[in-house]
Amino acid sequence: MRKRNQKESLHSKRRTFIKTTFLCSGAAILTGFPLVSYFIAPALKKATGKWVDFGAVEKLTPGSIEMLTYEFMVKDGWMVLPQRGFVWAKINKDQNIKVFSSTCTHLACNVIWQEESNQFICPCHSGRFDSNGKPVAGPPTKPLAMLKHKIEQDNLLVYLTF
Amino acid sequence: MNKTAGISLETVFERLALDRIIKRLKELDVPADALTWHRFFGALLLALLVLLFLSGAFMSFYYSPSPGSAYDSVDYALFTVPFGDIIKGIHHYGWNLFLIVMGLHLVRGFWVGAHKPPRQLTWVSGVIILLLIPAFIITGDLLPWDQKGYWSTQVRISIMRSVPFVGDFMVRLLQGGPLTGIVALTRFYVLHILFLPVLLTFLLVIHFHFLIQRGLSDSLSGDNLSTKTVRFFPVMVNRWLILFLCVTLVLGLISWYWPAPLGDPADPTDSTYVPKPEWWVLFLNQLVSIFKGPLSVVGSVIIPGGLVGFLIALPFIDSSPERHPARRKMVMLVAAIIAIAVLALSIMGYLEHHV
Repeated sequence: MRKRNQKESLHSKRRTFIKTTFLCSGAAILTGFPLVSYFIAPALKKATGKWVDFGAVEKLTPGSIEMLTYEFMVKDGWMVLPQRGFVWAKINKDQNIKVFSSTCTHLACNVIWQEESNQFICPCHSGRFDSNGKPVAGPPTKPLAMLKHKIEQDNLLVYLTF
Repeated sequence: MNKTAGISLETVFERLALDRIIKRLKELDVPADALTWHRFFGALLLALLVLLFLSGAFMSFYYSPSPGSAYDSVDYALFTVPFGDIIKGIHHYGWNLFLIVMGLHLVRGFWVGAHKPPRQLTWVSGVIILLLIPAFIITGDLLPWDQKGYWSTQVRISIMRSVPFVGDFMVRLLQGGPLTGIVALTRFYVLHILFLPVLLTFLLVIHFHFLIQRGLSDSLSGDNLSTKTVRFFPVMVNRWLILFLCVTLVLGLISWYWPAPLGDPADPTDSTYVPKPEWWVLFLNQLVSIFKGPLSVVGSVIIPGGLVGFLIALPFIDSSPERHPARRKMVMLVAAIIAIAVLALSIMGYLEHHV
């Protein structure tokens, strides 16, 4: 009789435990799913990009590396705000153009073209890249990102992602 | 004395159902050893936290979390609103002092073996709080939308993005998208003033729970101070209040003489701005610079991760009941090497970036 009572009490405890666990999980899922989705939704969106017009190619000096600044409007969440920055364009003597991102591949500081040393330098950790964007000194290991570009109606267009 | 218009203070407490709590607090005794000066780092941290919460909450009255107006709102609060410089200064110098005192609290705890049984989880909960603090700094730095905040955030985001597989997702999650714009600023703001403080308070409750349940660590000298007791109220409470008054006064005066810095407005096109690592992160920054190429993961992940692992695992590595530093030579040696390395790297970083 006593043994039976003990067994029943154990069953009852187990039932209570399962019931409470079930209710807790239900409450967690019911409140958690919409809240978590609400929070992470923007992170699941894929990066977008656009062609940005940098003006007439003939203005660029052959054999030089020039800083091209941009400013365009981007919808960020609920607001349209200006997105500003710059890229580096290398114009070869044969008018062949390469466009590099200004973002250092080490820790995202802006790299600056230094005419005297013929290198891009990153002021943050003294990373250096040659004129083709290849890392030559300091912590960076990856080359500067080369950006997609095209020439349309004599204007230089660069594809920027954001 | 306690009578006000015929109603005694006791009656008021009784009506508010506070009488039992007040009675318990009045009768609460703590070891007299709690009055030792180096046991006050924790109390000082609590005082600083109250100041940080208060100054932060009041700063939010004049803050507008939008890239177009954040800088101007901070500038207005700092230079136009009465006491604006003091309140921002207390917040600014407060968190810097908080980091220093937290370091001292940790070193002191390690020195006297406060992580030894039965207080392992008091230590672990403290280390978790320590790990949460950088999240406050990362989210708070961007809020004024000045050059320093903007560019420091870019560097931090880039470090986060370099984490294999999940880096990019983590950045998008933190910023609410790929841009450091209005969505990111609003997220940082809400995390900084709501979610992180709630989490910190929760962790503090856990830390205090273990502190109350497991007690203060015994004194190293082994004298009989621990058997003597003092009343928590008013002896300890008054000491804490004096500490709070002193730290408020000191931070207020510092803020008065040297207003908290606010740089130029953030300009993503500025190619001349060089973000300088702050003093507390110099050693990590130096580690990142030392290990190059395929070894960079050693400096950015393995060593810092190992250090965190060491701190969390310490109570379980150094678990002998022996608490005197002179009789814990091995673990002291390891800690000394780590401390010297951190100091040396910080000095190297300072010389490189700030001189």
